[in-house]
Amino acid sequence: MTDAAPPPGPLTGLRILELADETGQFCGKLLGDLGADVVKIEPPGGEHCRQIGPFLDDIPHPERSLSFWYYNTSKRGITLDLGTVDGGELFRRVAATADVIVETFRPGFLASLGLDYQTLSEQNPRLILCALTPFGQTGPWRDYLSSDLLHMAAGGEMASSGYDTADVPNAPPIAPGGGNAWHMGCHFAYMAIMAALVHRTVSGQGQYIDASIHEACALTTESAIANYVYRGETLLRQTGRHHAPAPTPRTQFRAKDGAYVTALVAGRLNPRYIGELADLLDTNGMAGDLRDPKYQDPAFITANTSHIIDDLVAGFIASLPAEEVYHAAQERGFTWGAVRAPEALIDDPHLHDRGFWKEVEHPELDRSFVYPGEAAIYNGSPWRISRRAPLIGEHNVEIFRGELGLSAGELCVLAESRVI
Amino acid sequence: MVRPRALENTRVVDFSWVRAGPWATRWLGALGAEIIKIEWPENERGRLPSSTTPQNLEVNLNTSGNFNDTNVNKKSVCLNVRSAKGLEIVKRLIAVSDIVIENFSSRVLRSWGLGYDELCKIKPDIVYVSMSGYGHTGRNHHYTTFGPVAQSVAGLTYLSGLPDQPPAGWGWSYMDDTGGMYGAMCALTGLYHRNMTGQGQHIDLSQMVSSVPLNGPALLDFTVNGRGSRRSGYPPGNRAHWPGTPLVNNYRGPTVAPHNAYRTDPGGYNDWCAIVCHSDEEWQRLAQVMGGPSWATSAKFATVAGRLAHQEELDERIEEWTLTLGKYELTERCQAAGVRALPVQSAEDRVEHDPQLRHREMYLEMEHPALGRHKVQNVPFKLSETPAENYLPSPLIGQHTQEIVEGLLGYSRDELRAGFADGTFWPTKRARFPYMEEMLQ
Repeated sequence: MTDAAPPPGPLTGLRILELADETGQFCGKLLGDLGADVVKIEPPGGEHCRQIGPFLDDIPHPERSLSFWYYNTSKRGITLDLGTVDGGELFRRVAATADVIVETFRPGFLASLGLDYQTLSEQNPRLILCALTPFGQTGPWRDYLSSDLLHMAAGGEMASSGYDTADVPNAPPIAPGGGNAWHMGCHFAYMAIMAALVHRTVSGQGQYIDASIHEACALTTESAIANYVYRGETLLRQTGRHHAPAPTPRTQFRAKDGAYVTALVAGRLNPRYIGELADLLDTNGMAGDLRDPKYQDPAFITANTSHIIDDLVAGFIASLPAEEVYHAAQERGFTWGAVRAPEALIDDPHLHDRGFWKEVEHPELDRSFVYPGEAAIYNGSPWRISRRAPLIGEHNVEIFRGELGLSAGELCVLAESRVI
Repeated sequence: MVRPRALENTRVVDFSWVRAGPWATRWLGALGAEIIKIEWPENERGRLPSSTTPQNLEVNLNTSGNFNDTNVNKKSVCLNVRSAKGLEIVKRLIAVSDIVIENFSSRVLRSWGLGYDELCKIKPDIVYVSMSGYGHTGRNHHYTTFGPVAQSVAGLTYLSGLPDQPPAGWGWSYMDDTGGMYGAMCALTGLYHRNMTGQGQHIDLSQMVSSVPLNGPALLDFTVNGRGSRRSGYPPGNRAHWPGTPLVNNYRGPTVAPHNAYRTDPGGYNDWCAIVCHSDEEWQRLAQVMGGPSWATSAKFATVAGRLAHQEELDERIEEWTLTLGKYELTERCQAAGVRALPVQSAEDRVEHDPQLRHREMYLEMEHPALGRHKVQNVPFKLSETPAENYLPSPLIGQHTQEIVEGLLGYSRDELRAGFADGTFWPTKRARFPYMEEMLQ
């Protein structure tokens, strides 16, 4: 990137304290990449999710977790044991400078240290504190343990995802991968924090937010709840396509190169569409009988849906590599796509046109690495990664000495007694 | 005392349709913004086709259950924006609004004469969020998406499934839900920035592009380590690792066993429970909950390495036990002992059987004029000073045309009647709903 001084991000000027494990670190990343000064507070020795792989060159080390790297961009980092008297006091002092605190401790933990919202907001009434926890601060499951897989089970994601019996007999419900329970929780937490910040621009007052990952997951299954509430339906799991109350035609087809293509055809079949489909399939001489005038009759189309989809569309896709099908179809107005492994995105010219991939410097390694960038382009105040994830306690001196005025000697004593 | 709402006095012109855009404005509405949905029955997508109309009701523009749940907290104005008069009216509305949000293809609003430059002439500090499939920038901006296509192209579909099988993918439009989340997040971020600086902006959101950062660790494994996801044993289904394949992190969390979904009594379609042990200690607790069977104390299962190496046998043994209990009882027994376990829950389970969601009031009933009384999905966070809540059922199509056109924009009753007569507020050849006739009295 050559642009010398890009304009500041939309959240510039905000100070965020993040005390979050793998469940909430993505929320801090969103705030940081959008311009806020996010200070991550880790326990001495570093947050435990630094132990989650994959690791740089497969060498496990708390400074080499790629998962930690990814979810902690655009943050500074300090260490602090909140359970000590000195640690609690230092936290109170940092909290006095904060606009927002994001925390993922188990319910009641901060209160047990006398660091609850009530106490912290007395010295800082503009403070917004978002507690993001697996089940929220109240209720019978409040203290239950969780994991990404467990949330995908209870949230309803698994009940909707899996295989046709014909494809994989006796398949279990499948939890989609990638750690998306945490994403779902963090998206809603981010939204709640921004709403509180907008309100504060008018009222001047902060507030407390109790956000639940289970509820966020339970809200992220599209029409499943409506199917039940309005029609009493339970939905079937189907290979590579929507859950449905009764089996629907398939939408995922194997291409010549072994990759798959998502081709939404059923529900769109009418004489005009058949003509366009024939043109597309003809680009590789695969239109079959689609030009036959009998397809002008909608009833004939309906009676031959299986032939159109399972013979003609499937045959066309099987005759070309998935990427070729994808672009040929989209250029002709078909909403189809190649099922890509994530690494295929690196070469996507559209993403390059949008400046999506970002070189992030890792000065301690004297290397830089390519990171995925932003979901949206802001034309007035850019969303962009400002720096790599912090090393453990990297900004202890900058913040404890530079901002809070501790002496060099005091900092050493705090380190020796493992307060920082 | 009536609590204030976070987005009081914020007005949103909502051109969005289908699902992702309306899911975005649903949340802005719950937070207190006035959402004015601009609709036109001739090219409406979201109300029809409806597969969620109750069996005892006629399918029409006002009876989709899923539309109702997706569009609570909004008002509906019917307006033919493709007519000069309709365009003039919508410009007057934009002039008194804060946010414009839409999820059309990338050039549609511009073709109506409502591109960002034009919006700025009407309202200089407007926050404009466009939610198109591929964004307004980039060579494929004219490509189109539905959730499943965005998920496929961006790598999300590939992450879901069993090894050596086709992708299972996501059984719904995850990126309509999540794309909607980003729409709301972008609108709120732009609004905050405007309140602080006085500057509006155009936020060019893409459903496909916003899917890509959700694969972050998998992408870094490739850009940093050169390891792609197209590899043996990946994706490992519900496991953290597939037996007999190289031990590599699967981007969901730590590589541990047990980590799977197990059948439970009575063995129905959704009778499954997920169980995960993150440590040897958690495994020992699970062994205790299972009654301390001799197989569970075998040395080969004592360490995480051993449990991963003997995962097939481990999972079979655990399932023999889980089949003896219902999924909720299993969950309670495990959690009481400090073991990570939760039931696989269908929609019915969540609405009827989940004690936590009930306690948190996740599904509260609302009355809808055409659908009657039904449960609607609530808000997953509690703001102490400005609670977000559902306070309006979804609007009937054009239900608020009079309120907005006369009440907000100051047109006269005669102008409203003229607009109905000339096809500005409803197609002249289409039968009107009774509530439209009442507006013209």
